[in-house]
Amino acid sequence: MSRTTLLDHEVGQAMSALSAAAKKGLGDPALAELVVIRASQLNHCAFCLDMHLAIARRHGVSERQLDLLAAWEEAEGVFDERERAALALTEAVTVLTDRFVPDAVYEGAAQHFDDVRLAHLIGLVVAINNWNRVMVSRRIPPGGYTP
Amino acid sequence: MTTTSDDGSAAATRAVEYAQEHTPRLRWTEHAPEVFKAMLRLDAAARKGLDAKLLELVKIRASQLNRCALCVDMHSKDALAGGESVQRIIQLSAWEESGHFYTERELAALALTEAVTVLTDGFVPDAVYERAAKHFAEAELAQLIAAIAVINAWNRFGVTCRLVPGHYEPGQYT
Repeated sequence: MSRTTLLDHEVGQAMSALSAAAKKGLGDPALAELVVIRASQLNHCAFCLDMHLAIARRHGVSERQLDLLAAWEEAEGVFDERERAALALTEAVTVLTDRFVPDAVYEGAAQHFDDVRLAHLIGLVVAINNWNRVMVSRRIPPGGYTP
Repeated sequence: MTTTSDDGSAAATRAVEYAQEHTPRLRWTEHAPEVFKAMLRLDAAARKGLDAKLLELVKIRASQLNRCALCVDMHSKDALAGGESVQRIIQLSAWEESGHFYTERELAALALTEAVTVLTDGFVPDAVYERAAKHFAEAELAQLIAAIAVINAWNRFGVTCRLVPGHYEPGQYT
């Protein structure tokens, strides 16, 4: 049985607005893509991975970072402290049903991001989780995105 | 506090001392007002065409799974204000074993809610999707998926920012 491809127009528009607002407030397009790709890996969203790997390359994210993103914790030299703090927060906010967002993870992010940037970083993780859910639930195949 | 009654026996009538209320980590809506605005817009768009009572059950169940205290507070109160029974709200955390309190349609929606919420554990199984598709027309099912995603979004803000439950009044944001 094939799944629906329907997405209400207003829902899609609002989701785009949410992502755009979060990304703008974070003010770091390359970091935003790392965050979005990592969440999409955790949620197994093929469509989102395909789309955001293309966007990340366009923003100049290195192949080395993209190759090692799934194992960023063990790739210290490849991601700086700020990126690592953002990725740790991304994982905690994404894998929510296993535990709360630990204080150490939250405080680690708060050391590198002021309140405004942090609120937008959280918003970005929320926004991509939203896309991941909508795409995975409908089994939207990868490849539909063209830059 | 200990008081002595007329017959001289000491009766402990200790005042209940609850743990202290925590403070939120971050008041995200103040720091990211445009993000908040987009969330409100998304919430309104995703609830279109869905039954309000069903939507509250879905929202409570997702909030339980994500352990969002503020969201559980808000949506339980909204459900009660909307005429939902205490019984059905209490049984939600064990809905698979309390099927007779819910319609087949509600049960299908709750199964879908769990699968879409616990996404990092696996994909949304075909059986769960197909069960929902039997009870919801295609456009309605698309809205249900969107609504489940949206409560997950609110849950993530609530949990990450440690928003405090207990102060919500039904209808506060409408």
